[in-house]
Amino acid sequence: MTETLASPIDVEAGASHRSTWTGTVAHLHVTARAFLPMRSQESVELVAGCGIVGDRYMLGIEQGFYSEKPEEGRQVTLFESEVLEAIGRDYKMELLPEEHRRNITTTGVPLNWLVGKRFRIGSCLVEATRLSIPCRHIEEILQKQVFDAMVHRSGLNCRILVGGTVRLGDEIRPE
Amino acid sequence: MARHIMLAVRRIIPDGPDTNRLVLQDPDGWPLPKWKPGAHLDLQVPGIGPRAYSLCGDPATQESWEIAVRCEVNSRGGSSWVHDVLRQGDVVAVTMPRCTFPIAAEASRHVMIAGGIGVTPFLAMAHEFERRGVAWTLHLLARGGPPCGLALAGLAQSGRIRTHDTARQARPRWDELLDGGPTVGLHAYCCGPQAMLDGFAEATRDWPRGTTSIEHFVPPPLPAAEGAMQYTLRRSVTGAEMEVEAGGSMLKALRMLGAQVDASCEGGICGACEVRWLEGEPIHRDRVLSPERRRTHLLACVAQCASDRLVVEA
Repeated sequence: MTETLASPIDVEAGASHRSTWTGTVAHLHVTARAFLPMRSQESVELVAGCGIVGDRYMLGIEQGFYSEKPEEGRQVTLFESEVLEAIGRDYKMELLPEEHRRNITTTGVPLNWLVGKRFRIGSCLVEATRLSIPCRHIEEILQKQVFDAMVHRSGLNCRILVGGTVRLGDEIRPE
Repeated sequence: MARHIMLAVRRIIPDGPDTNRLVLQDPDGWPLPKWKPGAHLDLQVPGIGPRAYSLCGDPATQESWEIAVRCEVNSRGGSSWVHDVLRQGDVVAVTMPRCTFPIAAEASRHVMIAGGIGVTPFLAMAHEFERRGVAWTLHLLARGGPPCGLALAGLAQSGRIRTHDTARQARPRWDELLDGGPTVGLHAYCCGPQAMLDGFAEATRDWPRGTTSIEHFVPPPLPAAEGAMQYTLRRSVTGAEMEVEAGGSMLKALRMLGAQVDASCEGGICGACEVRWLEGEPIHRDRVLSPERRRTHLLACVAQCASDRLVVEA
């Protein structure tokens, strides 16, 4: 018997705009510099083509806010809350939402399937550019050996197409 | 090269003979990363290079980091720059804290023996011990007034600090300082000048393995690298390789291969040049990596190799 691996998106032939998923915003975090602890937020302001106000990925206009490696396709980053649970289960290690160092922690969103796709976060529209990759830097910051646990499930980098306010609990859905 | 964090010198507090305590904060007031008691950072001294200083504040405080610097008569440039050039409001470059002198988590009683400015890591540890509610004693041996007296005052109500002015009284015997050890649950720590460390090592020579810890000011003589041989060093990231002679510096070789590897003490005590190794048989000569850590990491400044090939993640 041959099984076909179905994407959570567009599983039904001919239903190109139907999807099998919707998710929510579980946590929001920003940080001013690459090494600083992430700060929890009730809401964040996404600026199209730039980043999140007050975050280190914000491109260009925010003096004093920087990432070590600015990247046009990494204006906002996402991470699955399900991965936090999986790391706890697989590695017996607690990784908290403020520790994975992505901006938006999602619930119910298959991030690894979304590269190249557009989706809504609340009223904002983003386009996924590539999967995030873990960096040893995170072990230095957290003083936890989390690098191996994050390989292949380290979240998603996105470009912001339509900006706006993202709040906790906002729906995330395909465009 | 080292990733530097830019911090503002928020306060400079004269705290003991020839000693300044620096309160460092993020320039915009953001909280700083957590760190472990016993950790140190490298302060980048312009035109001179990195100088390692233990963090001496309360590890629970994320608003600032503190270091204390004694102006040494024979300063190599670091302490005199801190005292003569650095001013409140200046911005300095430091590295992330590294902990090579950790608290022994399994111990129920802790005796810390400090010589002079060697008290700094123990200030951080004492805060942590108080929070954990475990028994601890700090012996501070100094000639004249103790360094960091103001910082010590914040811990004085614990009643666990013993200062010994060795200009006025005889130096205490080691068995007095070591609280009758070795005993079950007791861990002893020492940080100070080399003569004190040598005395501590001799006095605890027969203690069970893993019940003592030493923090060096300066790198001690390197142990022999028995079995060291010429080897091919390979960077896993780029595939670049080169031959390294027996006794040669792996740190220099990695940099010649284009790897950006931090370094500070270059004597195996600070941990700045730690890299992960993937294949081969390294000979470890550092003073800080645990046996478990050595199974995956090495310090490139002092490591040698006992196999004809070594692959490191760099």
